Amino acid sequence: MNIYVLSLGFGLITASILAIASVGFTLQFGVTNVLNLAYGDVMTGAAFVAYLVTKAGGGLAEALVAGAGSGAVASYGLNRLVYTPFVRRGTRLFGMIIVTISVSLVVQNGLQAIFKATFFSLSLPRPSSYTFAGMIFTSQQLVIIGLAVVAMVLVHALLSWTKLGRAMRATAADPELARSCGIATDRVIDVAWLLSGALCGTAGVTLALNVSSFTSTTGGQFLIPVIAAAVLGGVGHPYGAMIGAVVIGLSSELSASVISPDYKEVVAFIILIVVLLIRPQGIFSEVATQKEVAV
Amino acid sequence: MSSSMQFYVSNLLVYLGVDVMACLGLNLQFGVAGLINFAFIVFQAAGAYTAAVLTLGPSTAMGGFQSYIIGAHLPFPLPFLAAAVVGGALSLLVGLVALRRLRSDYQAMVMLVISLIATTVVTNATGLFNGSNGLALIPQPLKSTLGLSPVGYQWAYVVITFVCTILVWVVVRRITGSPLGRALRAVRDNDAAAAALGKNVTQLRLVAFVTGGAIAGLSGAVLAQFITAWSPGSWLFPESFVYFAAIIVGGSGNNLGAIVGAALVPVAFLEATRYIPQFGYPGLVDALQWVVVGLLTLTVMWFRPRGVFPERPQRFARPPGHGTETKT
Repeated sequence: MNIYVLSLGFGLITASILAIASVGFTLQFGVTNVLNLAYGDVMTGAAFVAYLVTKAGGGLAEALVAGAGSGAVASYGLNRLVYTPFVRRGTRLFGMIIVTISVSLVVQNGLQAIFKATFFSLSLPRPSSYTFAGMIFTSQQLVIIGLAVVAMVLVHALLSWTKLGRAMRATAADPELARSCGIATDRVIDVAWLLSGALCGTAGVTLALNVSSFTSTTGGQFLIPVIAAAVLGGVGHPYGAMIGAVVIGLSSELSASVISPDYKEVVAFIILIVVLLIRPQGIFSEVATQKEVAV
Repeated sequence: MSSSMQFYVSNLLVYLGVDVMACLGLNLQFGVAGLINFAFIVFQAAGAYTAAVLTLGPSTAMGGFQSYIIGAHLPFPLPFLAAAVVGGALSLLVGLVALRRLRSDYQAMVMLVISLIATTVVTNATGLFNGSNGLALIPQPLKSTLGLSPVGYQWAYVVITFVCTILVWVVVRRITGSPLGRALRAVRDNDAAAAALGKNVTQLRLVAFVTGGAIAGLSGAVLAQFITAWSPGSWLFPESFVYFAAIIVGGSGNNLGAIVGAALVPVAFLEATRYIPQFGYPGLVDALQWVVVGLLTLTVMWFRPRGVFPERPQRFARPPGHGTETKT
């Protein structure tokens, strides 16, 4: 069987997880301009929730719902209890990055203190495997790809066809103007955090499902490819993040079989840097200016 | 003092010197010039590696149990100088890519990515860097020349560290107190305005970035020569966050703040507590330490967002014939 076709299959799975995670990351960033570096650790938290659910006898569906729910609650809570108070107090871009890093340290090491620094895996029944055009997928991996497609379609539908989606785009473009037009931007921001958190939680569970064993640092390590995908497309642009996820996911898995698995992430990151040298604002973003944090 | 106590204190003093140097370097980049260099630890590691391979003999000499390049066996202080040069040169290379056209939040994220690239390359290029095992048995500077007892040499190394630290402090102060320092602050606060006044924003950023990188390289060399070992696992990207936390706590943009931050965060919280009795399962104390560092940073960000020693606002004499209203 052709090894490149096989690695294309792996690339599709990585791209799916990345797409869920980076669309969530970029949606929230686009609306609020808070660079949330604790995102990866919320993913880990959702993975642990899913772990507890499967340990208590829950199946994959329950684990995914619990993961998405806990991600949404955690993100909303983080914003309401930590980030918004800091922004109201006058902390701005640089400061907010430091705040999110501190939260990331607390969450990651808090999880480690609770669960110990060992390996965990979701206790689910052994999946059956299927072959498609030379690519092998387990039933769980097919669920991951399906979830990614559904999530992307839903995000697209939300942003283009609903009033809420239009309000989100308006807030992302110009929060002041959106507020003057009668949009309740604080509620839009709440929804953005909830939605981003649900995607983050889903991504965390799918990541745990795919890597077979995870630790308290898994999400934090996965954050860097997520950021790379989001930046590649232009931060704040969900469609850019989708394309970025596909580019990063496929290029890393394909380069693993073409060059060496040791360097798979390096290749993806070098693509990111080269793209940024040509288009400093990312693929989709129009302007290379930075906006202020929105409350 | 008993000799074990002397070892403990001299260890902490060397770590203090290394962290003060690193914080002064990062403060120049982040506090003064506003560059969010999340890859800072990479430049420190590069300096440490440079110093290591320049002091070690040829890699075949010790039975070839570790592989690395060069092995020049250079005498002190050449490896230290080379470490600073390599730190600066690597910064120039990264700076030319990352600092020219990118907005600052993208810069921060690209730096994170660069940090991960560096770790991956170093771990996998076993011929160059000996993979994740790293290097061991790095000779210490002047050890045979001085011919001191182990404790005596510890104190001699403290002196070497402090000489380097004072040197760094003098250099950084010269920059921050000069017109160049004011130009860097102007670029940090409003790059468009600085450019409109004829300042070359990219060039100024590069100056701060390269100087900070050279200082990072030197501090890494001092550390690696002291602990006589180097491995990529101890230079991962979260380590950069510790220095950021230190600068935020101490006072970003203020050199005194950077020194106090270095004493508080990496030394007092992460090094000194290494010797408190372990409780719970192995690793619990480590995790809790990091939780405390995170909470400490959040607390400082909340109550003293500009740090314990805030940057002092600059006051300038009014130009003659302007704004001198006379009240009668």
